[in-house]
Amino acid sequence: MKEPPSAYYMSDSINDAEAALADAEIARLNRRLRRESAARHEAEAIAEHGLRDLFQRQQEIGLLESIAAASNAADSVEDAMRHALAAVCKFADWPLGHLLLVNGDASATFDSTMIWHDESSGRYNALRSLTESIAFGRSIGLPGRVWESSAPAWVNASSLDANAHPRLPEAERAGLRSLFAFPVMIGTEVVAVLEFFSMKHQTPEVALLRLMGQIGMTLGRVVERRRTKDRLMHDALHDPLTQLGNRKLFLDRLQQAHVRAQRVPGYQFSVLFMDLDRFKAVNDGLGHQAGDQLIIATANRMINSLRQIDVMSRGEGDVGGDDFLARMGGDEFTILLDNISNERVPVRVAERLMSAMAEPFVLGEQQVTVTASIGIALSASGYTDVHNVLRDADTAMYYAKQKGRARWVMFDTAMQDSALRRLKLESELRLAQGRGELWLAYQPIVTPRDGLIRGFEALLRWDHPLYGAGGPAEFIPVAEEIGLIVDMGGWILRHACNQLRTWQQDSGQPLTMSVNLSAMQLSDDRLVALVAQILDETGILAGTLGLELTESAVMADPDHALGIFRQLRDLGVKLSLDDFGTGYSSLSQLRRLPIDTLKIDRSFVTQMDRHDDKRQIAEVVVMLAHTLGLDVVAEGAETAAEVALLQGMGADFVQGYYYYKPMKANAAGAAWREQGVLRQQK
Amino acid sequence: MKGIVFNLLEEAVSNDFGEATWDKLLDEADLSGAYTSLGNYPDSEVVALVDAASKALNLPTQDVLRWFGQRAIPSMVARYPDFFSSHTETRSFLLTLNNVIHPEVHKLYPGADTPMFDFGASDDGGLIIGYSSSRKLCALAEGFMQGAAQHFHEQADITQSQCMHEGASKCVLHVRFHQ
Repeated sequence: MKEPPSAYYMSDSINDAEAALADAEIARLNRRLRRESAARHEAEAIAEHGLRDLFQRQQEIGLLESIAAASNAADSVEDAMRHALAAVCKFADWPLGHLLLVNGDASATFDSTMIWHDESSGRYNALRSLTESIAFGRSIGLPGRVWESSAPAWVNASSLDANAHPRLPEAERAGLRSLFAFPVMIGTEVVAVLEFFSMKHQTPEVALLRLMGQIGMTLGRVVERRRTKDRLMHDALHDPLTQLGNRKLFLDRLQQAHVRAQRVPGYQFSVLFMDLDRFKAVNDGLGHQAGDQLIIATANRMINSLRQIDVMSRGEGDVGGDDFLARMGGDEFTILLDNISNERVPVRVAERLMSAMAEPFVLGEQQVTVTASIGIALSASGYTDVHNVLRDADTAMYYAKQKGRARWVMFDTAMQDSALRRLKLESELRLAQGRGELWLAYQPIVTPRDGLIRGFEALLRWDHPLYGAGGPAEFIPVAEEIGLIVDMGGWILRHACNQLRTWQQDSGQPLTMSVNLSAMQLSDDRLVALVAQILDETGILAGTLGLELTESAVMADPDHALGIFRQLRDLGVKLSLDDFGTGYSSLSQLRRLPIDTLKIDRSFVTQMDRHDDKRQIAEVVVMLAHTLGLDVVAEGAETAAEVALLQGMGADFVQGYYYYKPMKANAAGAAWREQGVLRQQK
Repeated sequence: MKGIVFNLLEEAVSNDFGEATWDKLLDEADLSGAYTSLGNYPDSEVVALVDAASKALNLPTQDVLRWFGQRAIPSMVARYPDFFSSHTETRSFLLTLNNVIHPEVHKLYPGADTPMFDFGASDDGGLIIGYSSSRKLCALAEGFMQGAAQHFHEQADITQSQCMHEGASKCVLHVRFHQ
């Protein structure tokens, strides 16, 4: 055999070596490949973990944002809670959620509310009824545990302490496996608990517990806001000394009763107005503190005797209702007896109140005996305004005082116009000015061709503390009769002129102010000097002040009026004759009087477009005025038709609701400023 | 199609037929083969790979999908143990598809287009599972069910009464489990 060529062997061994090298290289590349793919898998796992966390965080943030937004927008705590229950159920895939509110009293119990989020259609009804029937306390069930620990808690149907949770068996019957609850907190105080049922066993993650904690804080702020609001509302409607309702709240309740009386046949109510006799003596003699103590003790006695009356029923056949006791101020209390059967009920209540007062009060070391006078008004008298009910009860109380105190008096209509009532009005009117109850309203006087305000008429108003704002028709005659009008008139004049100066200085415009004078002022010797003094004090141009007198005041003594008018005229003040057409002006007198303006009475203006006679009288007055060289102001224009007619007949100025109502000073000033641009265009 | 599906397919092919086979399939389908689980890739690529496998293994594509589904389950158990660990049987696992598993898939892969399943009980105690998806991968779903049954040491008998491939609005699978 021939030897095989050695080159063959050589090349073979070279191939083997190369193959070994290649194998090693492949093995290395494989290891490298595995390293790479291991690294890729790890990177993917890290990224997936991050993505999942991110998703979870976004969900959590979304939940918190939605609850925070709904909490801010919610009208009530209940609405905010309802939304939170729904949002949490959706987030955690829990089919049933429930609200328990901690009762505000000392009972340490929950109100197991009827507020649920329930995605089933009736499947959990038995569980819900059971839950609502349980009086959860600090240690009962899961809500109790949450309250005790101020922390979230949960229980699974299989857990060892399951029998500490009375609802688990019923929950299991409905296919539920676990219960989770967390507290709603204000600071460290638990104010509510939200509980949720799940179809699965669960052990909540730290992230979920943290999230529910944040939701609990957010909802706590809602409760806190409502508490603050409630406190403010309470303070606005209650007397701080006795915690009884105040005048505003009483009028509110009275209004409700009044509305009911108008709607419900046979429904009646009564108002008792009680005033302590000789309270002022106690207050002055023993000091304010003793006075306050007496008021508080009186309030307590009244509360107690009203309660007893309710317990014993107020009278045979009486249906009863919500009685309401309020403190009007000072030593005045009012009671609304709701839903009474007859007038014997308030009488019985009044007698009981008086006997409750009979026991002496102990104030510090003093024993004080105080009696009370009570006035009674009945809704059966047919009121249209609740202020009048109060006024009549007050009037009746005043009668009781006049008749010797320590008694009750039922109001009857004879008192309406009686001397006593008049006496009362007088005494209140005397106090009104000092108490700041009088104020001026201002009604713009407008040129009808352009609707621009040229001036104002000052009108007196009285804000009676009990009966509200009253018009001058009721009290001016009284003020005149008791001579108060002179002082009052001086005050009005000074006040109106000060206001005029402010407006003139602010706008740089010579707008005018009309002020009414009464007949009594006209006959007061000091009038001219007063006007001169006020002009001097305020520095207003005399020609921008107009004084209005009624036709009847002037015609009562035309010669005297003429003298005064001339003096006023010499000061430069404008004069006008008010209510023209209602009295018996003599045309020759009219010609002699140095007046500048005639005011057409509202009675000719109202509905002048429908009554030819009114229109014709107004036309004559305008013609007459213009013939005498006087300006005309028409009062009481309420419609466009009336204004059009007045403009057509040449009335220089118009005053009335069509343009403006009488307004408080700031509103009147605003109306004036609003026309600033229009005035400049002229 | 989500990259995770390609990764699972690669693992199944590599485990049963070797890594070279996966490379060969990629070459035949003319694909680069760079898939990450987080990525998104055209559906056509998974179709091309299944077609290539069908040719190489000489099996109908539906059988390839069934095989893939079954073999993918162990990889899923390794990657996502939590989905499986809370169950002791296939039936309860399958019932969590819509409510637990697919929502979780969406957390990881926003925009994933998961199929819809509906479930009913049959008279013999089995499950009637409706499947609908624009991808019509009922065979893959069946494979997953078989794989899941194996994981829970059960046997699944699966028959299909209607199929989207035959014009039905959804596929309906009847599944019974034995120990």
